[in-house]
Amino acid sequence: MILKSSSSRIVISVIKHIVLIGMLGFLFYVFFGAYENLEALYNTFGKDYFSRYAEAETGSKNLVTSILLDYRLFDSLFEAGILLIAVSGVIWISRHEIEEKNAQFMIDKFKTPDLFVTFSRLVYPLMLAFGFYVIINGHLSPGGGFQGGAIVATAILILYYIDAEKDTNINLIVTVEKYIYIAILLLATASYFTRGAFFTNVFPLESSADAKSIYLVVLNVLIGFKVALGLWAIFTAFLKEGR
Amino acid sequence: MDPLLTFIVILIGFYGLATSTNIIKSVFCVTIIESGVILLFLNMGNLDGGRIPVDIIPDTLIADPLPQALMITTIVIGSTVTSLSLMLCIKVFHHFGSVEWVDVLGMERGR
Amino acid sequence: MGDLTMLDFTAYALQVLLIIMAIAIVVHKNNGTIIILITTFSLITASLYVINRAPDVAIAEVAIGSAIIPLIYVISISRQREFIVLDKAMDDFIISDNTFTGRGYILLKRFTDYYHLELNLCNDVRLCSLGSGKDQKLCEDTNVDLIVSHDEERGVYVLKGKASSILMNKLEQMAKDYDDIEVIKFKDRDFGD
Repeated sequence: MILKSSSSRIVISVIKHIVLIGMLGFLFYVFFGAYENLEALYNTFGKDYFSRYAEAETGSKNLVTSILLDYRLFDSLFEAGILLIAVSGVIWISRHEIEEKNAQFMIDKFKTPDLFVTFSRLVYPLMLAFGFYVIINGHLSPGGGFQGGAIVATAILILYYIDAEKDTNINLIVTVEKYIYIAILLLATASYFTRGAFFTNVFPLESSADAKSIYLVVLNVLIGFKVALGLWAIFTAFLKEGR
Repeated sequence: MDPLLTFIVILIGFYGLATSTNIIKSVFCVTIIESGVILLFLNMGNLDGGRIPVDIIPDTLIADPLPQALMITTIVIGSTVTSLSLMLCIKVFHHFGSVEWVDVLGMERGR
Repeated sequence: MGDLTMLDFTAYALQVLLIIMAIAIVVHKNNGTIIILITTFSLITASLYVINRAPDVAIAEVAIGSAIIPLIYVISISRQREFIVLDKAMDDFIISDNTFTGRGYILLKRFTDYYHLELNLCNDVRLCSLGSGKDQKLCEDTNVDLIVSHDEERGVYVLKGKASSILMNKLEQMAKDYDDIEVIKFKDRDFGD
């Protein structure tokens, strides 16, 4: 009787897998059909427009930055907002009302190897400098606020390898992040008074590329700090949980 | 045929999501799907070949910069989504004592 | 398909490798091994982004996928392998003569070995000084899984844990054989509020 029920369970699971693979195969078939008729929906108008006018209109040599910070600044702003909300969610889930959540354990003690600590001390300033380089040169070379912020956050993570007992005030990080987000919003809406349109470059359309790049650098630096602080808050919450 | 190979990665992620018994495994599969979707967007922007959209010469063929700009934000968002779900996962283990879907859903129904 | 350049060939090879990696991640059972695989997966995708003329996306993927994502996976998986016990009794129930040979320790060790968990004992002074009325709140708010305390009047050791955890049901069965060990399960609030 037991044997029969277990064998019937195996049959049911095999049928489930076959149905699942059939559904996924149907999805692949649909996608293949769409890919065959790609000419019906593929066009290069946007690409041509960006390649012809983007550099003159936004003052950015990197077209990705020109889209992120000028043409589609609205998207980037609320992406940064989602990051802020997610960080708040992580901190809210890992909250604790009793002081000093994680007690000292009797048995195990985390110890970083000495060689690793020495090497981390050597690498840490280089990574920080590379992160700031990527942020500031975001309008000239591949990079920008989001990528540079992630690199800066990784560099800060190395600090925790050097000193595992490092104590961080997570609420201060999130507070600073909120103020930086408000500053980004203010800078993005300032173009209403100079150009008459929200969420674009502050400087008028006729000004030179150098003047426009001031706005790009300032916004990149603000976004970079915001992303770095957000990721820092996230992994601080995790390290507190795991310690 | 690049987009087709990328779509297979997405389908493998869906298969893993449907058959995984462990919550952490489901988060891994969501990460796979996300990487596949990013790669699919970039493949679609790069169908004609062309140059990197940085410091371009006018009237030359470039890769489409719009999907790239969208996908940068997707990566940052994806990392936060992963961290949020993993933090929930830690709390679920602390509450139920297990991270298997069967145990967690069974405990929910049993109460 | 006649004129495949070296770059195209590399792209195809990396895509096939990516599919193999995805299958390996889906098929593997051990979550610890998957962390290494997912790091490799994200590095392969980063090189594919470069080949697809998107260096910006590749920088972001390398910066996030190489350090932060593996770290949070490692922490959340290692948290699921330990069982934290708060020792309020402070006598030879768990530690006798500075070695772990007490009866309670042997019971807990047998229990955690059954579930392949790692037993973590702690006796933080500040947590222990809280009154026994706060035990339920302590269990819900902190990551302590079990509280051991000594009831002086009846002479029994009390193990307190959450009713919602399936680990506690097993511990209750194992503790039936001992006369002086009692297992109490909290009826806790709804999950999430």
